[in-house]
Amino acid sequence: MRIVYSLWLFNIKFVFLSGIISTVLPLIFISYVNLNVGAGIAFLFLTPTFHYLVYELRNPGEYYFYYNLGLSKFYLWLNTTLISIIIGVLLISL
Amino acid sequence: MSELTSDSIRKHFNNRQILNDIFLSCKPGEIVGLFGRNGSGKSTLLKIIFGSIKAEGKYVAIDNVKVDSLYEHREMIKYLPQDNFLPNHVSISQIISCFCAKENIEMLKKDPLVKPFLNKKIKQLSGGEKRILEILILIHSKATYFLLDEPFNGVAPLNVEIIKSLIKKHSKNKGFIITDHDYMNVLDISSRFVLIDDGNTRQIGGIDDLIEYGYLPTSSRKND
Repeated sequence: MRIVYSLWLFNIKFVFLSGIISTVLPLIFISYVNLNVGAGIAFLFLTPTFHYLVYELRNPGEYYFYYNLGLSKFYLWLNTTLISIIIGVLLISL
Repeated sequence: MSELTSDSIRKHFNNRQILNDIFLSCKPGEIVGLFGRNGSGKSTLLKIIFGSIKAEGKYVAIDNVKVDSLYEHREMIKYLPQDNFLPNHVSISQIISCFCAKENIEMLKKDPLVKPFLNKKIKQLSGGEKRILEILILIHSKATYFLLDEPFNGVAPLNVEIIKSLIKKHSKNKGFIITDHDYMNVLDISSRFVLIDDGNTRQIGGIDDLIEYGYLPTSSRKND
């Protein structure tokens, strides 16, 4: 349960931001792309990008919080990849 | 007898051997003071023992059971990095719930050092306040061994004393490996001293050995 909670703390820093931008972007290009397909594709790519920007570039020290809870960088990236694929594909297939 | 053992640790950077078959151990009840010049590999050694960076060679065991991954020893070893590591966007109350042992959560929330900040987010604290909080949170986790990299960094003298008394209080049944250039405070609380010199560890007796091996200037003897 503690692992799930710490993953939640890890994700809220970039997944919601990614979700909002992924929703707004296709609205701008609504005449060129289907809304849910655009949002899905944007989410697929924006989520790992924001993970990289937020944790690798801006706050690399925060990784140690998650390391102390037993989550290695590999598992944190795996978590991001799975979230972006699952939600991205779900949005595309709506 | 419970013990954290690290052995055969080897690490090089850019063709320079930083750590050369290092051995370091710690038992509950011990505070090991780790000294070394800048770039001698103290932080690297702690990170390797913790498991956050890889080494060319490494054996880390707790109670003779080899541990390889962060996940395996998450309940046994905690690491305090040089820089603040608590996530800025999370409240202190949430961090305590996430990090500390269940039996310590309520006690820590009532601690006079923590209570005023409980509903604040980490980004609202000063560097020194963050440092004290980090140490409090680590110490009140389930772990038995603590690797503290510069715990006195950026902390006011009064708070240094608080940190020292906290470490001493909890060292009765927990083991600490501490490194900090504030050598007087490390010497003051440590029960055993180790110097990293030329990629190897040496057991040392105290300030005279630190001078002899070139970690301290000879003038330190007069100041002592």
